[in-house]
Amino acid sequence: MHDIRYDEVHDEFLVVNPFAEAILTFRAESSGQQAPIRIIQGPHVKIGGTRLAVDPVHNEIFVPDSGRIRVYPRDANGDIAPIRVIEGPDTQLARAASVAVDPVNNILVVGLNKTGDEPDGAILMFNRTDSGNVKPRAVIRGPKSEIIRINQMAVYPPKKLIVAAMPGVEEMMEPTTAFLGVWTYDDNGEVPPKWKIPIGPKTTLKKPFGVVLNPKNKEVIISDMRLNAVLTFSTPEIF
Amino acid sequence: MSERTPRTWLLPAVCAVLFFQGSNVARKPITIERAPQRVIKDQYPSFSAVAVDAETNMLVVTDENLFQILEYDRRENTAPKARLSEPKRIISGPNTRAEMMCGAYIDPVTKEIYVVNNDTQNWLPIFSRDARGNVTPSRYLAAPHGTFGIAVHEETQQMFLTVQHQNSIVVYRKQASGDEKPLLTTQGSDTQWTDPTGSTLDLKNTLIFVSNFGNAQVLPAGSRGGRRAPESYGRFDPPSITVYPLDASGNVKPLRTIEGPHTMMNWPSHIVLHEARQELFVANDADDSILVFRAGDKGDVAPVRMIKGPNTGIKNPPGIALDVKNNEISIASMGTHSVLIFPVTANGDVKPARVIRGGPSNQAALNIGNPGAVGYDSKRDQILVPN
Repeated sequence: MHDIRYDEVHDEFLVVNPFAEAILTFRAESSGQQAPIRIIQGPHVKIGGTRLAVDPVHNEIFVPDSGRIRVYPRDANGDIAPIRVIEGPDTQLARAASVAVDPVNNILVVGLNKTGDEPDGAILMFNRTDSGNVKPRAVIRGPKSEIIRINQMAVYPPKKLIVAAMPGVEEMMEPTTAFLGVWTYDDNGEVPPKWKIPIGPKTTLKKPFGVVLNPKNKEVIISDMRLNAVLTFSTPEIF
Repeated sequence: MSERTPRTWLLPAVCAVLFFQGSNVARKPITIERAPQRVIKDQYPSFSAVAVDAETNMLVVTDENLFQILEYDRRENTAPKARLSEPKRIISGPNTRAEMMCGAYIDPVTKEIYVVNNDTQNWLPIFSRDARGNVTPSRYLAAPHGTFGIAVHEETQQMFLTVQHQNSIVVYRKQASGDEKPLLTTQGSDTQWTDPTGSTLDLKNTLIFVSNFGNAQVLPAGSRGGRRAPESYGRFDPPSITVYPLDASGNVKPLRTIEGPHTMMNWPSHIVLHEARQELFVANDADDSILVFRAGDKGDVAPVRMIKGPNTGIKNPPGIALDVKNNEISIASMGTHSVLIFPVTANGDVKPARVIRGGPSNQAALNIGNPGAVGYDSKRDQILVPN
């Protein structure tokens, strides 16, 4: 599993099983070998990707799959086709690997990946309700952005922030270019992050893969693949 | 108030946009460089695969937590009050090309160690008998992404690799290195592979056994595609063991399948075949058990023996190795930082003959492995970690 999202409104969590091409929804208190309460899976589903985002307000699930973003009803169960798809040459979607949704400001944020000699990744911003071959409302990419590839992302609607885990060059076990970056919805173009939590001896981070926010305690929680650890940082300045 | 002409408002607007964009490009990130408040991390190894060479008493185990290859004496037995057993050597570090290792093999002649990476590195590195520390492998092969198991046919000098991410088995020359291509690939709709993990060879009957987690990719009939082939979709099937001719290639149907509720299989991981006894041993990860089937079993059969229960110390066992000479099986017990050694005839809730512990007995393993994401349950103030 490459993603997990807690839905605070419905007290559920969601994951993607990429090998069985399924979106699984569990009751949040689940433990042991408890079955999911809903499974989206079947020939009409076409999950493709390994990560997801949930919008508990408008009841939608977003799944990135390289050149497209598929959107499903949150409460769907069974063999359900996506209710809309963002796809086409104008979208600039290529190697889309992660997604985060802001139901308050109606923003959908997409992270693009990079493997081998492919172009560096990017952050694309769409309107939450976008569909079809639409242009992104903003694109953050380029050397000054320091974006190489993006794993899990989070958004913070009150301050319109994008928080992205950047594991660096995929082929390197301990890349020097990994960090956690924070941008705003107003950023567009070759923009450096507003804040960054670097790897290194002080933070002890080596390869940030996942990120989630705890606004109540003003904390950023990071999962680090190379450490096989979860690290919690107090970051009041970004909240 | 006079009406502004396009020229009078356009120029300041363009300047503002340029200034805004320019200011962002010139923005210097604020670096938050401080120690974490809290860290959740297991300090001890998570044993994922094990291999034994009875001739030299060499026991090699891979560690998915600290990314190590550790060698112990197979006769080691950690004293109950000891914190852990120190390995004879450790291979670890960014030069090794070894990270999320799922499989291990010891060459019976050279005593070289072969390990397969699963999700994070696409290499099969090979280390010499004396390698230790952060060493460059003697040689390495570019293996498919998501390789889980390795079985070797010493007579033909071929390596059989099970590949989760492709739903395939690929066969390489044993001495293959670099970008060398496989000799054979078995893949397609007829194979009935559903997330293949372990494999073992029956040279006497020229068969290969493959364990499957049950994450199926349904392909159109006759398709030779792998995972994510066009027109494919996902399905949950029961876990299974499928059996094929040893020389299978292409889109091949299994000769028989062991599958169903009586088998008790739940994430069957590595498997080993005892040729003389014609028994198949299964590391049954999600059931904290070892299952033993007759090699000729098929369908929904119960295991002939099962090692399971609190006395066994088995918790989330992905790895198993057979020592025919000493009539023992070694179990990589990921949930207890330990390798457990049982007689091949062990049955029920029995204590292991020996335990090699990589961590204190009173510390449960966290089982964090390749945490690709993290979640936060705000209602319960809990951190959710997918693996």
